[in-house]
Amino acid sequence: MATIAAAPTYAPSTAASNTGMWSWITTVDHKRIAVMYLYTSLFFFMFGGLEAVIIRTQLIAPNGTILNAEIYNQLMTMHGTTMIFLAVMPLSAVFFNFLIPLQIGARDVAFPRLNAFSYWVYLFGGIVITMPIFFALAPNAGWFGYAPLTTPQFSPGVNIDYWVIGLQILGISSLAAGFNFITTIINMRAPGMNLMRMPIFTWMALVTQFLIILAFPAITVALIFLQFDRFFGTQFYAIAAGADPLLWQHLFWIFGHPEVYILVLPAFGLVSEIIPTFSRKPLFGYPVMVYSGILIGFLGFGVWAHHMFAVGMGPIADTMFSMMTLLIAIPTGVKIFNWISTMWGGALRFTTAMLFAIGLVSLFTIGGISGVMHGSPPADLQQTDTYFVVAHFHYVLFGGSIMAIFGGIYLYFPKMFGRLMNETLGKWHFWLYFIGMNLTFFPMHYAGMLGMPRRIYRYDGGQGWELFNLISTIGSYMLVVATAIFVYNFFRSRRSGAIATSDPWGAGTLEWSIPSPAPEYNFAEIPTVRSRYPVWDIKSSEHGAHEIPHGELGEIHMRDHSMDTASTEVEPAPKSAKELGIVLPNNTVMPAIAALSIALSSLGLVLMRNENKTVGVVWSVVSAIMIFVSIYYWMTTPLEDEH
Amino acid sequence: MTPIHRSRQRMTAVALAVLLLTLAACSQEYPNSTFHTNTEFNAAIDHLWNRLMFFGTLVFVLIEGLLIYAVFRYRRRENSPVPKQVHGSATLEILWTAIPALILVFIAVPTVRTIFETQADAAAGSLQVEVIGHQWWWEFRYPELGITTANELYLPVGRTVNFELKTHDVLHSFWIPHLGGKRDLITNRTNYLWFTPDTSMATKVQNGFCAEFCGESHANMKFRVFTVTPEQFESWAAHQASPAVFGATVPAAAPPAAGTAADSAAPAAAAASPAGATPVMLASAGGFTFAEADLPRYARPMTPIPASIRRLPPGMTGDPVRGQEAYQSTSCIGCHAIAGTPFNMANIGPDLTHVGSRTTIGAGLYPNDAEHLAMWIKNSRAMKPGVVMPTLGTNEFDPVTKLKISSGLSDQQVADIVAYLMALK
Amino acid sequence: MATTAHAGTVDPHKGHHYTTTGLDNRKIGLWAFLGSECMLFGTLIATYLSYKGKSVAGPRPHEWVCAATNVVSDSPIANCVGQMFTPILDIPVTSASTFVLLMSSLAMVLSHNAVVHKNVPKNTFWERVRGSSKLWLAMTAFLGMAFLAFQTYEFTSFYHEGLKLSTNLFGSSFFTLTGFHGGHVTFGVLWLWTLFAIDVKRGLGPDDATNVDLLALYWHFVDVVWIAIFTLVYLIK
Repeated sequence: MATIAAAPTYAPSTAASNTGMWSWITTVDHKRIAVMYLYTSLFFFMFGGLEAVIIRTQLIAPNGTILNAEIYNQLMTMHGTTMIFLAVMPLSAVFFNFLIPLQIGARDVAFPRLNAFSYWVYLFGGIVITMPIFFALAPNAGWFGYAPLTTPQFSPGVNIDYWVIGLQILGISSLAAGFNFITTIINMRAPGMNLMRMPIFTWMALVTQFLIILAFPAITVALIFLQFDRFFGTQFYAIAAGADPLLWQHLFWIFGHPEVYILVLPAFGLVSEIIPTFSRKPLFGYPVMVYSGILIGFLGFGVWAHHMFAVGMGPIADTMFSMMTLLIAIPTGVKIFNWISTMWGGALRFTTAMLFAIGLVSLFTIGGISGVMHGSPPADLQQTDTYFVVAHFHYVLFGGSIMAIFGGIYLYFPKMFGRLMNETLGKWHFWLYFIGMNLTFFPMHYAGMLGMPRRIYRYDGGQGWELFNLISTIGSYMLVVATAIFVYNFFRSRRSGAIATSDPWGAGTLEWSIPSPAPEYNFAEIPTVRSRYPVWDIKSSEHGAHEIPHGELGEIHMRDHSMDTASTEVEPAPKSAKELGIVLPNNTVMPAIAALSIALSSLGLVLMRNENKTVGVVWSVVSAIMIFVSIYYWMTTPLEDEH
Repeated sequence: MTPIHRSRQRMTAVALAVLLLTLAACSQEYPNSTFHTNTEFNAAIDHLWNRLMFFGTLVFVLIEGLLIYAVFRYRRRENSPVPKQVHGSATLEILWTAIPALILVFIAVPTVRTIFETQADAAAGSLQVEVIGHQWWWEFRYPELGITTANELYLPVGRTVNFELKTHDVLHSFWIPHLGGKRDLITNRTNYLWFTPDTSMATKVQNGFCAEFCGESHANMKFRVFTVTPEQFESWAAHQASPAVFGATVPAAAPPAAGTAADSAAPAAAAASPAGATPVMLASAGGFTFAEADLPRYARPMTPIPASIRRLPPGMTGDPVRGQEAYQSTSCIGCHAIAGTPFNMANIGPDLTHVGSRTTIGAGLYPNDAEHLAMWIKNSRAMKPGVVMPTLGTNEFDPVTKLKISSGLSDQQVADIVAYLMALK
Repeated sequence: MATTAHAGTVDPHKGHHYTTTGLDNRKIGLWAFLGSECMLFGTLIATYLSYKGKSVAGPRPHEWVCAATNVVSDSPIANCVGQMFTPILDIPVTSASTFVLLMSSLAMVLSHNAVVHKNVPKNTFWERVRGSSKLWLAMTAFLGMAFLAFQTYEFTSFYHEGLKLSTNLFGSSFFTLTGFHGGHVTFGVLWLWTLFAIDVKRGLGPDDATNVDLLALYWHFVDVVWIAIFTLVYLIK
């Protein structure tokens, strides 16, 4: 919790060391949690990518033989589940964690221990859902797991059990983080930072968190029903009891469509930070960007059934959902035009981050256009469940989310680690991604419109799909090479990249006013904010004299010592929190234990159903006790030392 | 070269590449293409698609053009001044809200019209076809004609066909890309889909697919659609409605369904020959069918046979009479029905009354010939992942139970049953 | 999840940090949590309603149904042959439990009031009664427990009448919905006793107003959800 006034010097009761494994397990610092999110989600991103490449290799030619049907279905399901829940969402969480407090001028998030808890729940949930693939028991019903295929009648095995409980655990993580970030953004902004001065990334993060807390309950309930059907014999999706399979579909997509915006709005936010920075111009139409983001969030709740145009909802429902879907294209288009207008008349610098941002604008446009195409129900009857849809959502999620996230990593790497990433390697990474991405996914439009259904582990020759599949697979290999370059660049730069100044890019938002890497307390003194780009008001970038007349953008009163030397290359090491007398939350292991216990208790359910009932019950009870004990200690231990 | 020049060149290159791909997509044979007017249903879709593609291209060119122009025009150079700090423009914002909204109106109006057109009730007098999805095969019934068949549809051109879509188990989706859009088969619900194959589609074969993921063998749930002339359809239907043509023991008890003019020679001949007599091969008398040999390449299954199944000894021939006995005394009758025999109740596997007249087995997975059928009977689970049908061949390894079958059908019995089934034209 | 929103309830740091809205962080967090809970219960209730009357087998919630003829009636059907689905919801008993839960909200308000005005001198017996936070916290908890007792009674009698979690769509959706609500009440009761224990140990004063306020917010929410369930599930046929 932020302290506004400089507190008197104090001596912490526990000497919290900031190195070693234990310090990471017990940390509650949002920046270190962000780093843990970064490593974990990059790992899962590569794991999901590996699954995709195996799939693509199977499909390189007709009658592929490297996978059998069962393993293909597991890989296909896990690729989707991994990329959405374990890669893209947590990659966005990297930036929520790292940036929100820095952008709003806070010392940490509202509930630092809950934040650590979110991370650990994510990690253990990810392990629960991923582990079975090493035993060829992974979930195998597709990432949207349509009932009744997932009911015990048609999926008696353990596969879906892992999927259900894994997603439930991950839901806890997202919801806890949602409450936390909403509170942080609403309640912990620095003085003077009213809503319309808030950096646009934080705005998009706020909208995203509202989407999370309002959309996740729908999938939570849908999964509770499935869980009860599988573990306790309820009849929610049992066809013999007269269940309606559309119940699952409606509940899933009431979550599933906002989820698309949960994945892509943070990306929009990042791009809206990158483009002004490297155009050296403020974001064009800031208020419109805010409103369009909110509007996308609102409309996002009214369009879920456009995933269900083929299920026979009737012409009136089809019309309604179609119109809502077409409407959503307007605020999205507005965003694209505003980005281009931000670049218009600017002084563009093509850093790797900027290239990724421009990549998003160009690729997301394609995804948006194909989105409008299947927003028209009759046309969608030919498109849905084909590779055309696969192409569409990869343009949205790879061309949109992933492009922006990598742009964000290149942009914020110096603020996280104090060093710059190598730009040459970065540009190789970008171009290979850009070309490889188009090679992989553009031909899928053709394959789909030429009749290739999705989720098939093999296809006959002579259907006219061979060329497109071949190109796709070659493209996917390029993506692997590019990712390898990124990983090499990441670790090399981490060790020996150029030392970063506090504002290496000449950016304008608050996080660039503090040293790189960000000190543990973020702001030595909480700043007072007077404009949207406070840093541009008071200093010039080292890449050229960009002095802006005072008053045009407002001004900032910042007494951060680092500002005095901001324009020189060498900055003095920032003082420690102790020297400055800033009270920081104490480290604690309880969130990690609580998270672990939650994962373990759910595994008890799997044991109960598939192995031994008694062992399962005992297992669950023991881990439930662990949950209560850890939360009890968590609740009864003060967050910080008295001061 | 100026940046703008270069950008133009690159744009031309990109446009050329896309054009080439598009041309490639048109010049070759694309048997499952969705760009066609083969039915009035798809003509409506195609019309919408063209409009969507037009506006889509317009927006694409506009946005990418502006973007590329900005990228090259506003590149930061040495001693670039600080750009003018523009914050926005209400006029522009209104403009790029209104113009896309206008475009969307042009899309929305035909969309709504097409929705209501295509989802109206089917015209009276259309051909009724019940489609029942099973993991992983298709059951087709023509209730007015008394026909039950599997994985192969015959549709007369020029007549509206109304599909009544149901599923026996999980969700499936019925899709014939070259005739029209798909519709899901929903458990505990009935869906409808209708269209009229154009008369230009006479005597053609289309591929059909399951488009909704339905479990392990989702990829292997295909079917064939034969669009035929009304005369061919009459001939086919009349024969299909008749009971089994080989060794029918109670032909009198199973008269041809009302309204069909069955080729009476076939059942009569079969009835005249008591069990044990020389079987009458009725291929030519079986009404109109597509011969497997006539199938175009795209409709001919090319799945390789798994190496693990032992083939029948070369030269082994089966006797259909013994085959019928073997069929009726083993577990076959528990799942499959053959009309015209006492074993006509089961509905777990496909109806085999006229199985010999079909071109494929295993839901479009293998060609329907003696070789493939023998392998299928011996070890269907190795032939197609996840099938319910048990492994029957002696010494075959069951991939599900992981056991070797010790007391199954001998090779000779398999050959006999194949001969019997192939005789069911 | 309920526990996560509870985070920091016993946190000694309250009030004296600068916040943008001037409200305690936990209060904003709880509001966000309750927003999410609205969606949770909304989904559960919507499922119950959409499955109403879809059960293939009995028992049913309100009407007598003749399985053979599918005739529905408000009273037993005279000429039904074969299986008859009996109505099962007992509205008088549930009305009583609803009243109990509503009264618990009143007690909750009085608890909060008592904590806020702890330091106001009390002269009369009634002022002392009204000012006893222990009394009203315990009262709220007891009323909550009485509600749970009603629910236990209801569930047991349904079970004996042949309605289980796995009987039909009605059983599955009814028990899941009301069970989730009961779980929320149980959590609230535990929270109440925790605050009661703190009150006994060191006494709650105006400084603790936020802590009681958070619980009150949660408790009233659970109450409002019950009103919705009672109306939509029990009263509307």
